[in-house]
Amino acid sequence: MILEPLPPRILSVQRIPNADPALLLAYGADPARHSSLGLVTVDQDDPTYVALDEATKHAQVDVVFAKSFYAGAAHGSGPLSGEILGVIAASDPEEINEGLKALVRCLESDARFYAADEAKKTGVFPHVISSLGHYLSAAAGLSVGAPMAYLVAPPMEATIGFDMALKAADVRAVKIFPPPSETNFASAWLTGTLESCEAAAVAFCEAVVRVAASPKGEL
Amino acid sequence: MSRTRQLIDALREQLGGSAPEPPPPPLPRVPEPPVRVFPRRSEGTRYARETAAHTTAVLGIGQVGTRYATDVVLQFQAELAVAHEAVGTELPEDWPAQNGLLGLRSRVSNHREFLLRPDLGRLLDEPSLALLKKEARHGVDVQPILADGLSAVACMQSGLALLESFTKACQARGLTVGIPVCARYARVWLEDEIGQTVGAKVAAILLGERPGLGTGDGLSAYLVYNPKVGNTDGDRNMMSNIHPRGTPPAVAGDRLAVLARAMVDQKRSGVALDLSRLTAELGEAASRHPRAPQVRVRLLEVEK
Repeated sequence: MILEPLPPRILSVQRIPNADPALLLAYGADPARHSSLGLVTVDQDDPTYVALDEATKHAQVDVVFAKSFYAGAAHGSGPLSGEILGVIAASDPEEINEGLKALVRCLESDARFYAADEAKKTGVFPHVISSLGHYLSAAAGLSVGAPMAYLVAPPMEATIGFDMALKAADVRAVKIFPPPSETNFASAWLTGTLESCEAAAVAFCEAVVRVAASPKGEL
Repeated sequence: MSRTRQLIDALREQLGGSAPEPPPPPLPRVPEPPVRVFPRRSEGTRYARETAAHTTAVLGIGQVGTRYATDVVLQFQAELAVAHEAVGTELPEDWPAQNGLLGLRSRVSNHREFLLRPDLGRLLDEPSLALLKKEARHGVDVQPILADGLSAVACMQSGLALLESFTKACQARGLTVGIPVCARYARVWLEDEIGQTVGAKVAAILLGERPGLGTGDGLSAYLVYNPKVGNTDGDRNMMSNIHPRGTPPAVAGDRLAVLARAMVDQKRSGVALDLSRLTAELGEAASRHPRAPQVRVRLLEVEK
């Protein structure tokens, strides 16, 4: 089936209620404000960035560390490595628990890649965030609460898709990350009204499906 | 939960895909807060009840949960409204003349300035000074001054009664009394300049006091021996809460005359004035013992 969901697999969720200050510093936390950490590894990086942002909307947590691993989940360093390590920090372990709950909920039912072809070889991430949390809003330079389309696909599909998305609706490119990323994908952040972001995401997804179905066009 | 799922469902159907995926699990329900009934706790202790009877202050009011009860809030708002209104009321310009008083005013030009500039309210403006020099009886024992102060309402309500009883009581004690004057936009210390100008031995200003909760109609009286600009509050004797529910004007006039007489006799006022021999006339006001409890009546009673 086309556009079948490819749900992310959460490989590990860990908590450090009272982390050592050296560790806090190394992972970008501020020992003056943070003492507890929550860590998660997942086999899809972009849904995890969205889920980390979701956590900041549900609990008093800061996303202090989130990095994708080279060459993606298929080449992980261990069975729990996946494609990304995300770390949230808070002053209170209870906040970490609430943040992790929101993060897991988002990964299990909301943010995921979809298969752009029947063979499930091409992944597409046409996600619309209706209201940014303070992690992605800071990263994108948008205000908290702004809508944003978070679009990811392999290099060729993505490039065609970005063009379609930008032309399909009244949206503006906040950032375009051309390939290669750590995982060899290309991604873009677009903003506008919520409706524009949704229209852009649908156009992007449609273009990716079309390129996947006919890689060489009319040649 | 974002709408991305629905958008992709719709696109899948449009591209000829099969049935949409099952709906996502619902968000966890936030439990309802427990239903609690907060009983009114106004009974309090016997001590609180008895204490509350002796003051118009809002005491012994209990609580409902973490808040005040509605009738307490209404009482507070009603009393505050009276106080606001009293502060906002102005003494009409022709009121002194209508009541046979010599009208004076301070250097304040309007009511707002009066509230913001106490220093200007302590000095007479030039025309008033000239008028006072021309009209007043000079060299008297007591110069009475009626004034608006911070409650023109009080001045208009019981000011004349107090002025009359004070004047009569002074004359009955053999003191000469100056012509009655009435000052607008006046602060207490204005009595210094007026008394100095007319050369009175004692200046007595009777003026509306700063309204508090439920006392918009109270007068205060400040007496000073040898009035001159530069006197301090340590040189004055004062009496507050002159209103029908506190000290009635008739009683207050008598007591103030006793004070004035003592000042003229002892040639001093304020902290230095010896009241110990006046207990018979001043009653408990001159006593060093705590005042006996009195049941107080409120200016307003809100229906409970």
